[in-house]
Amino acid sequence: MQKEILIQKWLDGELNAEEMEAFKALPEYASYAKLSEKALYFKDESYDVDLEFNKLNDIISRKRQQKTETSTKKPVQWLNPLMRVAAILVVGMLVYFAPIYGDTTTIKTLASNKTAIELPDNSHVNLNAASSIQFKKGNWEEKRQVNLVGEAFFNVAEGSQFDVVTWLGKVSVLGTQFNVKQRVNYFEVSCYEGVVSVTYKDRVIKLPAGKTFKLIDGEIIEGETNEKSPSWSSKNISSFKSVPYSQVIHEFERQYDVKIETQNVDTTQLFTGSFTQKNKELALKAITLPLQLKYKQNTNKITLTKE
Amino acid sequence: MLKTLNTDVCEEHVYARIFKSLSKDIFNFLRFKYGDRLDPRDKVQEAFIKLWDNCKNVTPEKAKSFLFTTANNMMLNEIKHQKVVLKHQQIKPKNYTNENPEFLMEETEYMHKYQRALAKLTEGQRVAFLMNRVEGKKHKEIAEILGISRKGVEKRIYTALEKLRKDIDGI
Repeated sequence: MQKEILIQKWLDGELNAEEMEAFKALPEYASYAKLSEKALYFKDESYDVDLEFNKLNDIISRKRQQKTETSTKKPVQWLNPLMRVAAILVVGMLVYFAPIYGDTTTIKTLASNKTAIELPDNSHVNLNAASSIQFKKGNWEEKRQVNLVGEAFFNVAEGSQFDVVTWLGKVSVLGTQFNVKQRVNYFEVSCYEGVVSVTYKDRVIKLPAGKTFKLIDGEIIEGETNEKSPSWSSKNISSFKSVPYSQVIHEFERQYDVKIETQNVDTTQLFTGSFTQKNKELALKAITLPLQLKYKQNTNKITLTKE
Repeated sequence: MLKTLNTDVCEEHVYARIFKSLSKDIFNFLRFKYGDRLDPRDKVQEAFIKLWDNCKNVTPEKAKSFLFTTANNMMLNEIKHQKVVLKHQQIKPKNYTNENPEFLMEETEYMHKYQRALAKLTEGQRVAFLMNRVEGKKHKEIAEILGISRKGVEKRIYTALEKLRKDIDGI
């Protein structure tokens, strides 16, 4: 025990002269001394902190450059609309077909684009303009969950619980057809088949087929629908039933990728009607005539005024 | 005090300071633990790049343990099948001009034995022993770097020394 303490002190360079003598008197002294001396041959003197730091600096500044290059979007004139559509398709397909990009799949549509998606269990989703959905392929079997921003029509295959999560509320079903529309201050769920349950702020509302649930500026309105599927998906018509006029304008902007300005127009009044997604002139008439509004068109900007 | 509260690893001078004070210790830690085969240099670089990527989430106080853990994990990912080999410098005859060739051979033989004996130590023993004998670090410093008690360090180094002696002397 005495010996162990002596050796430990020696290793830590704490021996005084007297202890040093005692240590040297140990029969194993020569072995220890040699081990200690030869240990220095294992030293690697070649590690140069400054050199390594310079190497690291190179790597990091390159990384930073890449980051700023991707984050500062240059104005891209060469990107004509056709190229944009192609780019979206390519990106969409990449994301859809390449699970290497991570577990989460995100599909987005831009204004005036729509798309149809098939989920891993053959459930179908039609995504309206300017919307996105996100889901995890990896654990789809255990958890059928889709995050939605915007509007989508779901045709869900039979199976375990299927959740659509939006920041305004959650919609859960087992297997059915329903539409979820979530826009700024607007949340609407329409059930076309089976039963869906809508969770909103700890309240659960059961919605049988033919019923709709609307949430406008925090107010819940329940209604009915006679359709078999949402008209935007089956007939390319956006239709509204007692919806604030501002929502109609936003929907128009999304469908035709335009900006609409209003002058002296009460955008809170409720609108019932529809507009086609195929003909802009016709659609403009459809949303202005009933309210006796006039419209003026510039490139990508439309102004509505009270007559 | 205020300064430490506000500093962030993302700030270049903080990052540089951390690199200059820790990189060599990490390099040696990896060498001593895993040997030279898997290029501990690269792992040090990779660990620091990871620190940079996460600089917003790692405080300067946490950087040390972040770096050691990250570098260690990177090594572990590669190490599984490899045997620990620490390179030693060639015994240079010029220091022993008056020594005969027989002596040189014995010395070389000794170093080979030493190398093999080191490989037989546990990782913990080897790291602590070499930090002490090669780097000349005090027990207290080693305890801080490894995050263990000083008693633990003493035990490891002492056990390592005894194992090496018995192994090399053939007892």
